[in-house]
Amino acid sequence: TVAAFHSFRFVIKGSLAGAAVYVAYDQGLLGSGTQGAEALKKAQAALPPAIQEWTSYIGWEVRTARTNTLPPTPKFDFSPSDSWNKGVQTVMSALSVAPTRACEYTVEGWKYVKDLVK
Amino acid sequence: MASEGELGRKWDRCMADSAVKLGAGFALGIVFSVIFFKRKTWPIAFGSGMGLGMAYSNCQHDFQSPYLLHGKFVKVS
Repeated sequence: TVAAFHSFRFVIKGSLAGAAVYVAYDQGLLGSGTQGAEALKKAQAALPPAIQEWTSYIGWEVRTARTNTLPPTPKFDFSPSDSWNKGVQTVMSALSVAPTRACEYTVEGWKYVKDLVK
Repeated sequence: MASEGELGRKWDRCMADSAVKLGAGFALGIVFSVIFFKRKTWPIAFGSGMGLGMAYSNCQHDFQSPYLLHGKFVKVS
């Protein structure tokens, strides 16, 4: 009976682990890059309504001041390549104007010091 | 469809897939750790590593296409 209990327990554990792996495979989490990106998009689309449902279930309701209705659910639309490109452009334009700005600030600082010394 | 946009889209797909695979590997690692390995840490690390490896392989395949050639031998009878 102990052996039967152990084997039964092993079967239950194996079923749980197998079910977890199957669900992951079925959702496209273990497939190609396109499938993974689509799975993430589906999760992002499902997240705001789920958050709204949970907050209303708990009893927290956020209302906008003017219209006293719930604000629209935020949409997560993040593109790493766009953010990276914007960051690179910002840094490069800052570096390109840096010498000019440094000269201007130096001239202003020198003038300020001269006025102080007078 | 601009070609420089295509590279950006490939990077976006790669990042999204990496996040998904890392998360899935981490979650499956937790499941296996709890069920079979008495809540040890190494299955979680193993699962996360496997997820990252799968994501790297997918990214590599995505970036190298369409220059990757898939061929097979056909017997001429």
